[in-house]
Amino acid sequence: MRKPFVFVALLTASLALHAADASKTIAIEGGKLLTVSHGTIENGVLVIADGKIAAVGKAGEVKVPGDAQIVDAKGMTVYPGLIDPETNFGLTEISADQMTNDLVERSDEIMPHMHVYDAFHSETELIPVARLNGVTNAVVAPASEDSISGQDIFIQLYGKDRDDMIMGRDVALAMNYGAEQRRRGGRGGGFGTYPSTRMGLVTQLRQSFFDAQDYMAKRDAAANKKDDKGFKRDLKLEALIPYLKGEKPVVIGVYEGYDVEVIMGMAKEFHLKVILNHVTQSQEVLDKIASYKVPVIIGSIYDAPRADERFDAVYTLPAELAKRGVKVAISSADGEGPVSSHSVRNLPYAAGFAVAYGLPYDEGLKAITQNVADMFGFGDKLGSLDVGKMANVVIANGDPLDVRTDVKQVYIQGVAVPMVDRQTRLRDEYKAKQ
Amino acid sequence: MDSLPTPRRALRTAGCAIPMLLCSVIAGAQTSSSAPPQDLVFKNATVMTASHGTIEHGSVWVHTGKIAGVGESVNAPSSAQVVDASGMWLTPGIIDPHSHSALDGDVNEATSPVTPSMHMIDAFDNRSADLYRALAGGVTTELLLHGSANMIGGQAVVIKNKFGLDRDAMLFPNAPGSIKFASGENPKRVYGSRDQLPSTRMGNFEVMRMAFEDAKHYMAEWDAYDAKVKKGDKDAVAPKRDLKLEALADVLRGKLYVQIHCYRADEFLTEEAIAKEYGYKIRAFHHALEMYKVGDKIAADGTAIATFADWWGFKDEARDAIPWNAVLSMREGVKVALKSDSDDHIRRLNQEAGKMVHYGGATEDEAIRMITLNPAWIIGVDDRTGSIDVGKDADLVLWNHDPLSTYARAQKVYIDGELFFDAALPGWGTTHFSGVMHDGGGFGSDDEIGSAEDGR
Repeated sequence: MRKPFVFVALLTASLALHAADASKTIAIEGGKLLTVSHGTIENGVLVIADGKIAAVGKAGEVKVPGDAQIVDAKGMTVYPGLIDPETNFGLTEISADQMTNDLVERSDEIMPHMHVYDAFHSETELIPVARLNGVTNAVVAPASEDSISGQDIFIQLYGKDRDDMIMGRDVALAMNYGAEQRRRGGRGGGFGTYPSTRMGLVTQLRQSFFDAQDYMAKRDAAANKKDDKGFKRDLKLEALIPYLKGEKPVVIGVYEGYDVEVIMGMAKEFHLKVILNHVTQSQEVLDKIASYKVPVIIGSIYDAPRADERFDAVYTLPAELAKRGVKVAISSADGEGPVSSHSVRNLPYAAGFAVAYGLPYDEGLKAITQNVADMFGFGDKLGSLDVGKMANVVIANGDPLDVRTDVKQVYIQGVAVPMVDRQTRLRDEYKAKQ
Repeated sequence: MDSLPTPRRALRTAGCAIPMLLCSVIAGAQTSSSAPPQDLVFKNATVMTASHGTIEHGSVWVHTGKIAGVGESVNAPSSAQVVDASGMWLTPGIIDPHSHSALDGDVNEATSPVTPSMHMIDAFDNRSADLYRALAGGVTTELLLHGSANMIGGQAVVIKNKFGLDRDAMLFPNAPGSIKFASGENPKRVYGSRDQLPSTRMGNFEVMRMAFEDAKHYMAEWDAYDAKVKKGDKDAVAPKRDLKLEALADVLRGKLYVQIHCYRADEFLTEEAIAKEYGYKIRAFHHALEMYKVGDKIAADGTAIATFADWWGFKDEARDAIPWNAVLSMREGVKVALKSDSDDHIRRLNQEAGKMVHYGGATEDEAIRMITLNPAWIIGVDDRTGSIDVGKDADLVLWNHDPLSTYARAQKVYIDGELFFDAALPGWGTTHFSGVMHDGGGFGSDDEIGSAEDGR
């Protein structure tokens, strides 16, 4: 007979289980399934086999294999693993300790040939901490100081080694535009180096893309002649080619309305496939943003509005954009700089906050699951509870978007990941001394 | 954040002077000048008292700015203005015991590690938008502290967040004085980077002891003088007044609450030892991320903590931070408050309290107390605010949802019984504001040096 597998046992046993778990068939029974793609199923059953979702449906309507390990999820909520569209995972450990930071290559403004996968430190303590609150996947991007700061990776938050955790290399190009990027030039009262103004930033970006177009033509010509011996590769320009061809998205971080308009003008000129990021001080151009028909990542929803704006101007942004038909994702960025990557565990609460300020609940959940997966090309593998998708599944004791909710178990590719991190170890160690 | 300047925010907020001319016009139209009612009654609210649990379908009667009744029913006069709070929650105003808001970046006098004669009130900007945004988040009282660059920083100011009134009207009347001390990485970094004392934790604590030796000597000189005068010695010469030493003497005389920025367990113990050596008491350790390691010892000293809900990893001394710290420390007997130290987080301290239910299983009552009554104690105003009890100031927040959830939005915020924020009002939602709002200015806002050196 099948034995119900209760949470007390699951929690203590998860450490021992995880290694052997991958090939196991698991049936999560009795929970409230938030499928993201096809509504909520009360008293549902979700079957995991070979690391994938094998069946989803109402109890009684889903055939559970006889050898399945049964997980009793009565009173629990079951939902797809959360995906953070912008983190610095593996690029930072202790914010103030520079030797633990590989956040951005600051030596130039145009750095498309910087690959996050070269620095990704998969053993970082930040990842288990986020995982414990139900985050199973994330985009890792460099910090935003450069106009083009490098190419992102898409990761899952559990795996046997670094390569196992990187699901996609160079999945997007991280770009930034606005006041911060002119900073280096503008430092010291404006007597810095080029580009010290927004005019300079745009000119430099356009020149870079023209250089890459020219490079692409020459490279193709050399290849066609089958005589590329004299052709010298330029890593920087070559890195831009997939983005010039529109094969992959550029993620453009930009805050203010007029900056959005300027940078979108440039992006259109080169037919870039754009994901807008931040746009937190762009209230006056929301209709225009919608007219671009590009997805938008909101981060940080906690950003301060301008002094002439109502206190909740940024809080309502996801709702306002979604209302206008924009595909919205929400990141965990908390408006306080690099430390936000330590706060990825708060990702669901950022989405909940958007819901508090008008975003429909289902859209809120989508903004940290399916929409993110779609934006970065993983929409067919992740983001919802659907048959055939990777079994990245979370079981929690309540509403995932509420701060009071406690996550009980996280599965990544069907593996029940150990629900421990450095912080739970410290907690248990000192509790034992009490 | 901490050691890293935040130029992005600084530059993004720098361009706001022009639109502010517009604000004054827009906001002027919303200003209300009607006096608050003599009697005000909230009916059918879920009343979270912070002192004696939650009353479902409760009522609260406010008479001339004070709470006159609380319970399932109250004996308010029929002339009272009634607020039907069906389906809503009523809590005490949120109290932030650690803020650097509205100081326009003048947070650290980082020119010497001992600056007790600095007064934050001299930097207080009552037009700061940060105050307005905190008010909209339900914050009614704040302790505005000196930064953490100095071992002995400056003297705090306590405000009631009556945004829109003039500067003096925002000060918390007769609130006890507090002084901010700091230890650990921040003073080390600030002075160490200049090859000045202190550049180590050894140096940190020796700077403190030397300062108190000076203060003891100064007190002795004045005591000797006073004794001479008392004896009728007309030739007695008064010692020269020294503002710095006078402030330290006030610490030794127990006239100032000592609030200490401090992260590590070993440092809590050293700070307590020095306090005993010189005979003063520590009111609260701020940040206190490792309190879960030595909570029993600190509880015995009666020192409270004002801590983050779940921040960690921003500096080495925050490496062992765990989100269970607050509740574990509370279970050891330490009085625990949550605080913002951030113009972002101050806007949703209620959610930070909600995390205590998640991490450690605090009861709703315990969680609410961490952002109301306990911070009030740390500031020394718990006899007047921080809970819904008869006789206390009517500092109240009406919420549309359980305030410990992600979904709560403050609907109305009252201070001394007067409505200062009303989400239903168009535009700002403030009831008194009628001028130019100043941009940010607090921590992490428009002063890179201030924020970088303050740190957390």
